[in-house]
Amino acid sequence: MISFLLRRLLAAVPILIGVSIVVFITIKIIPGDPVASLLGPTSTPEARAALESRLGLDQPLPVQYLQWVWHLLQGDLGTSISKQTQVLGLVLDAFWNTLILTAFAAILAFAMGIALGAVAALRRGKAVAALGNAIALISISLPQYSVGLLLIIYIATGTGLLPTAGMYDAIGGGGWGDLFRHIILPGVTAALVPAGIIARMFRTTVIDVMSMDFIDALRARGMSERRILLHAFHNTTPTLLTIAGLQLGYLLGGVVFVETVFSWPGIGLLVFQSIAQRDLPVIQAGVIVSALAFVVINLVVDALHATIDPRMRAHS
Amino acid sequence: MATMDVAVAPRLRRRARTSGTRRRLPLPSKIAAAVIALLLLAAVFAPLLTSQSPTVGVLGDRLLAPGSSGHLLGTDGQGRDIFTRLVYGARPSLLTGMIPVAVAGLIGTAFGLIAGLGKPLLHSSVMRFLDVFYAFPAVLLAIAIAAALGSGSSNAIIALSVILIPPIARVSEAETGRLRNADFMEAARASGSSWSALAFRQVLPNIAPAVVVYCTALIGLSIVYSAGLSYLGLGIAPPTAEWGLMISDLQQYMFTTPSLLIAPALAIVVASVAFNVLGDGLGNYLNVRSEIA
Repeated sequence: MISFLLRRLLAAVPILIGVSIVVFITIKIIPGDPVASLLGPTSTPEARAALESRLGLDQPLPVQYLQWVWHLLQGDLGTSISKQTQVLGLVLDAFWNTLILTAFAAILAFAMGIALGAVAALRRGKAVAALGNAIALISISLPQYSVGLLLIIYIATGTGLLPTAGMYDAIGGGGWGDLFRHIILPGVTAALVPAGIIARMFRTTVIDVMSMDFIDALRARGMSERRILLHAFHNTTPTLLTIAGLQLGYLLGGVVFVETVFSWPGIGLLVFQSIAQRDLPVIQAGVIVSALAFVVINLVVDALHATIDPRMRAHS
Repeated sequence: MATMDVAVAPRLRRRARTSGTRRRLPLPSKIAAAVIALLLLAAVFAPLLTSQSPTVGVLGDRLLAPGSSGHLLGTDGQGRDIFTRLVYGARPSLLTGMIPVAVAGLIGTAFGLIAGLGKPLLHSSVMRFLDVFYAFPAVLLAIAIAAALGSGSSNAIIALSVILIPPIARVSEAETGRLRNADFMEAARASGSSWSALAFRQVLPNIAPAVVVYCTALIGLSIVYSAGLSYLGLGIAPPTAEWGLMISDLQQYMFTTPSLLIAPALAIVVASVAFNVLGDGLGNYLNVRSEIA
């Protein structure tokens, strides 16, 4: 088990190097001369050359990349252009809020997805299964910004029961109850697409498992349908775990729209605000932190997978 | 990372064809195809459907509610007719959704063919290269690329194409891998077919259905993402009429005239649902199933 985990960790290293190269490229494709834009049009060539060498921009690209990675490894993600503070602190605070929203949305997505998928698989050929399939398909196609805004219009302002934006009330807010009231609408909005995907994948898995020989064997032994379902569900857990890893990553990325619509103070809102201010270090840091989180989530999923399914350990 | 492959590879399965029953495109898919045709016609013939300007408004007619005379869906903050902007907006909204899928479809299929038919070393280097892109939440990567390149529709198209290539390449590689050792491939190799003949004559026609079905469903996603980039301020620049841009523009009147927002918000939903339903139905029709992961 430990050697399995070590191998997985080692396998993540090239991925992380690749990730850092991709992000470095997005920094380098920014059009325009960063030195000229920092110093303004009236700067002298000498001043430009001086700043260029101070920023290390006169070095060849591989050297610049290594310097950048070196800073990255020390937690130095640069300075925010608009806020003039260290990017790392900004991003970590926001990331915590994103994690709260993502975790809530993930729970919702799994509950809805598993329920929908199970109905669609176990009532195959019936109207309720067709309805389940249709809901899943539509739910995958929903743009989060459209859904979020419609929920604000019809639920939040329409009924006045739930807040339209933010994480806590500005006046007299705070505490779990307040957080819960604020998280419902963004959580539902973020959960819809993954719920649809989970439903479709879970449906296929349940159908596959239910057509296996051991189900017939259990039936032949006279086991009740309910207990057979329990056995079947046990066999779907590896697939569920795999889906979980993927969908958590999807949620981490997809929350940009949700957080923007609901002014949820997470990575997504931070990235959105940074777009308008062309604050690229913050955008890049947001992407790096999310990618890192995605890789870590996949490692955790792999580990869990190997814990419950011995075949995994044997295979790799 | 072997499990990553299992984890993200789209599930493809062929259904045993029941002999005797004619394959038919299911009714919802026919409706979806009709909706898509209508949207495309509206996009092409926008100037014939409305006589008003999509970009220049009448300031005296600001923020009219839907149903006002001459303004079926109301007017925006600059007095522009929302129906007109919706119809004209179909053009960039659909194009910036479809072009990235076409671009990524060509490049992704090529990657899949190269990986699927190549020697083990080539196969693993292509697939590991694609794995890197799977480590990013796709939307965030698109935002980072689009933000770095600067706003504008062509940059949004580039950003979306980049994030769509890896999943298409995975489908193409998975399908190619399935054929690699088929009898007809052995026969073609034995009769001295060149690599390109194998790829284009033998493999491509066989993997095309799966790739096309997958790409059809991806168009829905791509429309949502491209409108999303415009919504965030990274796509097409104002005053062009585009659905995502309309939403971000009308959002400021959300608490005073919320009904104005509904049309563009629903337009994106309708387009995206239509492509997904069509993709789903095509999958059944062509006996391929692919899940968007």
